[in-house]
Amino acid sequence: MNGTINLTLKVWRQPGPGQKGKFEIYQAKDINIHMSFLEMLDVVNEELILSGKDPIAFDHDCREGICGMCGAVVNGKAHGPKKGTTLCQLHMRHFRDGDTIVIEPFRSKAFPIIRDLVVDRSAFDEIIIAGGYISVNTGSAPDANSIPVPPQNAELAMDAAACIGCGACVAQCPNGSAMLFVASKVSHLALLPQGRPEAAKRVLSMTGRMKELGFGNCGNERECEAVCPKQISISHIARLNREFLKAGLFSRET
Amino acid sequence: MSLNPSIPSGPLEAKWTKYCSEIKLVSPANKRKFEIIVVGTGLAGASASAALAELGYNVKTFCIQDSPRRAHSIAAQGGINAAKNYQGDGDSIWRLFYDTIKGGDFRAREANVYRLAELSVKIIDHCVAQGVPFAREYGGLLANRSFGGALVSRTFYARGQTGQQLLLGAYSAMLRQVKAGRVSLFPRREVLDIVLVKGQARGIVARNLVTGELESYAAHAVVLATGGYGNIYFLSTNGMNSNVSASFRAYKRGAFFGNPCFVQIHPTCIPVSGHYQSKLTLMSESLRNDGRVWVPKDPKDKRRPEDIPESDRDYFLERLYPSYGNLVPRDVASRATKAICDQGRGVGPTGYAVYLDLSDAIKRDGKEVIEKKYGNLFEMYERITGVSPYVSPMMIYPAVHYVMGGLWVDYNLMTTIKGLFSLGEANFSDHGANRLGASALMQGLADGYFIIPYTIGGYLASDSFPPVSPSQGEFEDSKKEVSEFIRRLLSVKGRRTVTDFHRSLGSIMWEYAGMERSDEGLRKAKGMVEELREEYWQNLLLTGGEREFNQNLSKALRVADYLEFAGLIIEDALTRRESCGCHFNVAYQTPEHEPLRDDQNCAYVAAWEYGGKERPPILHKEPLVFENVTPGIRSYK
Amino acid sequence: MNWFIIFITSSVGKKLVMAFTGLCFVLFIIVHLFGNLTIFLGKESFLSYVEDLHRSHKYLIPLAEVFLLIFGLLHIVFGLVLYIQNLKARPISYNLRKNAGGRTVGSGTMPYTGLFLLIFISLHLVRFRFVEKITQNDFTILINTFNNLGYVIFYILAMVALGLHLSHGIWSSFQTFGVNHPKYNGLIEKGGILLSILFAVGFASIPIYIFTKLS
Ligand SMILES: Cc1cc2nc3c(=O)[nH]c(=O)nc-3n(C[C@H](O)[C@H](O)[C@H](O)COP(=O)(O)OP(=O)(O)OC[C@H]3O[C@@H](n4cnc5c(N)ncnc54)[C@H](O)[C@@H]3O)c2cc1C
Ligand code: HEM
Ligand code: HEM
Ligand code: SF4
Ligand code: F3S
Ligand code: FES
Repeated sequence: MNGTINLTLKVWRQPGPGQKGKFEIYQAKDINIHMSFLEMLDVVNEELILSGKDPIAFDHDCREGICGMCGAVVNGKAHGPKKGTTLCQLHMRHFRDGDTIVIEPFRSKAFPIIRDLVVDRSAFDEIIIAGGYISVNTGSAPDANSIPVPPQNAELAMDAAACIGCGACVAQCPNGSAMLFVASKVSHLALLPQGRPEAAKRVLSMTGRMKELGFGNCGNERECEAVCPKQISISHIARLNREFLKAGLFSRET
Repeated sequence: MSLNPSIPSGPLEAKWTKYCSEIKLVSPANKRKFEIIVVGTGLAGASASAALAELGYNVKTFCIQDSPRRAHSIAAQGGINAAKNYQGDGDSIWRLFYDTIKGGDFRAREANVYRLAELSVKIIDHCVAQGVPFAREYGGLLANRSFGGALVSRTFYARGQTGQQLLLGAYSAMLRQVKAGRVSLFPRREVLDIVLVKGQARGIVARNLVTGELESYAAHAVVLATGGYGNIYFLSTNGMNSNVSASFRAYKRGAFFGNPCFVQIHPTCIPVSGHYQSKLTLMSESLRNDGRVWVPKDPKDKRRPEDIPESDRDYFLERLYPSYGNLVPRDVASRATKAICDQGRGVGPTGYAVYLDLSDAIKRDGKEVIEKKYGNLFEMYERITGVSPYVSPMMIYPAVHYVMGGLWVDYNLMTTIKGLFSLGEANFSDHGANRLGASALMQGLADGYFIIPYTIGGYLASDSFPPVSPSQGEFEDSKKEVSEFIRRLLSVKGRRTVTDFHRSLGSIMWEYAGMERSDEGLRKAKGMVEELREEYWQNLLLTGGEREFNQNLSKALRVADYLEFAGLIIEDALTRRESCGCHFNVAYQTPEHEPLRDDQNCAYVAAWEYGGKERPPILHKEPLVFENVTPGIRSYK
Repeated sequence: MNWFIIFITSSVGKKLVMAFTGLCFVLFIIVHLFGNLTIFLGKESFLSYVEDLHRSHKYLIPLAEVFLLIFGLLHIVFGLVLYIQNLKARPISYNLRKNAGGRTVGSGTMPYTGLFLLIFISLHLVRFRFVEKITQNDFTILINTFNNLGYVIFYILAMVALGLHLSHGIWSSFQTFGVNHPKYNGLIEKGGILLSILFAVGFASIPIYIFTKLS
């Protein structure tokens, strides 16, 4: 159960937005297998700093798989090889001694690189701004139990709402589509009675905004679902499609 | 300066209503003319931004993360309390109020806590209307569970992701206001100073974390909702970006700091596994509802835990606290755990862990039920440790989790600086010396959605505001100071990394100013921190420059503040001559090792005033008056 | 009609067009396959099928052709637009990219199998549709064509492409229409793959049969 491993890291280094980047090779020695991937990077960074070099920039906050701030493409997969796991929750016991690990930032036109592995995901906020909410002013709500919600729907809604906005879906999607992210919000709100009044408007404006921001189109490739740390199902994309069809053909919204 | 908590007169139950109906209002047309800066986008900051903008104010909202949705509130797992009494088990506003005051070991203000309990009900209504997918019963009505320190089921939850769901609710409400043009977002900004003009807080200086540029922003009032400073202990359950900087700079500008030594240690965290460890992960307290905490009776028992028979186990919480058992409040559970481990009876490779066992519950309710309740926590545990809790009991150990201390605020949530408000975990809060489970989320949202929209209006309507611009002297001066600070750090060019310093600071604090404190230890810590701080300014090694995305530099700024702030925590712990809640001084304990409060002399809020550079801080005491409850002995036996 | 244009040119709208036209093609090739399979019953059966078809559905056939043409154009144009937009969404590609487990050979090659089908259909039409049918009839054309090994191979390759295109396409169009339900997902997915295999094998059997048996 205990032990250490040695690794070769091939990491994308880019000093700033729009600047030229390249891969650098680093040796990560005596890595305890109980470390998380980010802790492994911490260790490498400490050594880099001590030798006067700039540490590898990467985003992170909670380090427990919930804030959605971390993420990189590790050996060709967003958040690395383990299913349902963010990078911060990926532990080194899933690698083997002597492995070479290629680490690249999430690549998408809509996620410009800020530095090294850090990307700008504010496009996700933009999509939510377009309609990812229920319009209710503070203090005007009726009693919470006045509208029962079938528990099955509440559960499904929660499945979708679990999205942490990490962007792995976009990173992995061959088409650079943000469909799973958009669908998780659309589906979450469409499943609840509170969200129905704005459902048509929401799906049209959010998918519209996604397109404007330069994300690709979903081709049902299912790669997003495969890397999503919260394992959000593409059945939510299907629900978005249904909502879209309904909204486009039968609602008064355009 | 005298401390005026500005508590409205009248009976406890009527204070807030009366206050709301008497407060001065800003006319809708004028609201548009007011600018408010909100720092922080956790539950407190995001809800405040949304609610203020809904009223018509212009809000500028800042956060460190790349998106406001990632504030650390997102990590709260367990749930949020509200006195809805949907379960009909005898809950009421009064009971929630009483439990919170008692849980806080009678070191909180009655009026504030009562208001909190009162507003809890509205929070749930609002969050449900926003689409927060709370757990439901078969009939579609809201489900509840019970949580540490309470005998009623009043905790609302959304799987193990309650904080996330509540935050996404507040976040999306705030983004709705971005669309309406009333909130402007400033992510990836670190606020490093509060700018005062003629004694009023009129703006901030922030560092743009992408470009490294210093930016100043002016407003009519500033709201700090910057969360807690638990990270001063290096290892904590807080997010890596949580820090004290904004509050600490406010303190240096004249805001008093309340009860800095009240730091809560959470009993159920995954134990430390090695030196490289960067943070600790909480296992939700809700596990204690169904889980039983134990160690082997014989410390030398090396059998696998699942092989140790019932008769050879010591369920020490149940033994020590027969009536509350595994559900005793956090401080009690944490201390009991530490005591057992200190006696050499702990388990795991380090001996600093105890078992949290759900096998009885799995036997009783079936794996399916347990999986539904705790599935994601179990998964998380297995992911981190590589051990499945369905097979073998979890191991847990206490870790720093929450700070009750924070900027001192009055009933209006205003600090001692006019126009500077503080919400959520960042203020010294309503939790006294110890916070009950599931009540931080409640407080953050009560502050943001329901209190600040009223109180800030009262302030804006009753004061006058000469025009200011971010290019005027006060802003420039403050910018210069910050820039000077940054340059000094960068010019040290020593040989030790920030993380290394931070780790050292953390271990000093954990050892001497953590769960158990002694005068001797605290004094020792004071010296050690002093030394470390001196070394910091001579031996810090930073790479990169000021005007760039430099995470190392951001960290160095925070650690610089921690090194100073640590002194204040220690000072506060030293001056409080009692044990209460989470503050346990070994000199004040009962023969059974329970904290010994001193209501005669210590029923006060410690509000510390910055004494100036290299001068000791000045203590002000806000006496706590209990008119509605009698401080009793907090017994969970 | 403005709303309709907005609707079908949006991100999801374009996909709906792809799915709708694609499914219509599937209907067409089902009929086409059954018709063509009459070759196995002999020359007479095949020719009478062709004749019956043209005689009994005098108006239906041209109408169907017009629709096929329009849908074909839509499918191609939208398919290309999607392809280009998707390429643009990731201007710098990964140094190392692995399949995470969702992508199939079919889904990963949609634009390429599609383009190949475009070439195939163009040639196919030149060979079978836009030819003079006075000195020769459909049967003789068939025999002549598939006695040429080159054609046979080309057709077989095209049928592989068709099978691949549809192995993803059929399931995918259901998903695009929002038909996704745990009770039916297995049926749709497996059914789609089975159908595509049947199409590929069914169509490919004809040139092979002719080349080997009817020369
Ligand atoms: C793991 C964990 C689990 C918890 N579970 C529960 C629970 O089940 N129930 C419960 O009631 N409570 C729980 N708590 C406590 C609760 O989550 C927090 O107390 C609460 O969410 C704090 O909210 P906040 O809005 O005050 O601050 P935070 O959510 O911490 O937000 C702070 C914000 O301030 C910003 N910020 C900080 N400093 C600066 C600066 N200098 N410049 C600019 N921006 C800044 C940050 O970017 C962030 O947006 C838990 C806490 C933790 C750590
Ligand atoms: C004429 C040449 C063709 C071209 C250029 C072409 C191109 C494409 C492309 C690029 C896609 C993927 C679109 C995306 O998801 O991004 C696609 C999807 C599809 N195609 Fe074709 N195709 C052609 C012919 C056909 C034929 C002959 C059929 C059926 C027999 C067909 C059926 C489908 C179906 C069902 C889909 C799936 C639609 C969806 O995902 O919702 N296509 N086509
Ligand atoms: C090997 C198998 C095939 C054979 C033997 C075959 C045969 C024919 C024949 C004989 C015609 C002419 C019908 C007429 O008289 O107008 C025809 C037309 C056509 N075929 Fe095929 N075909 C085959 C495969 C395909 C495939 C795989 C496709 C599409 C993916 C296809 C698409 C068409 C189309 C679009 C027309 C024109 C239809 C019309 O204009 O009415 N065929 N085919
Ligand atoms: S859908 Fe999944 S992968 Fe995409 S942003 Fe949300 S959590 Fe991340
Ligand atoms: S991988 Fe991409 S194509 Fe669709 S199903 Fe997922 S968004
Ligand atoms: S750091 Fe928060 S999800 Fe990884």
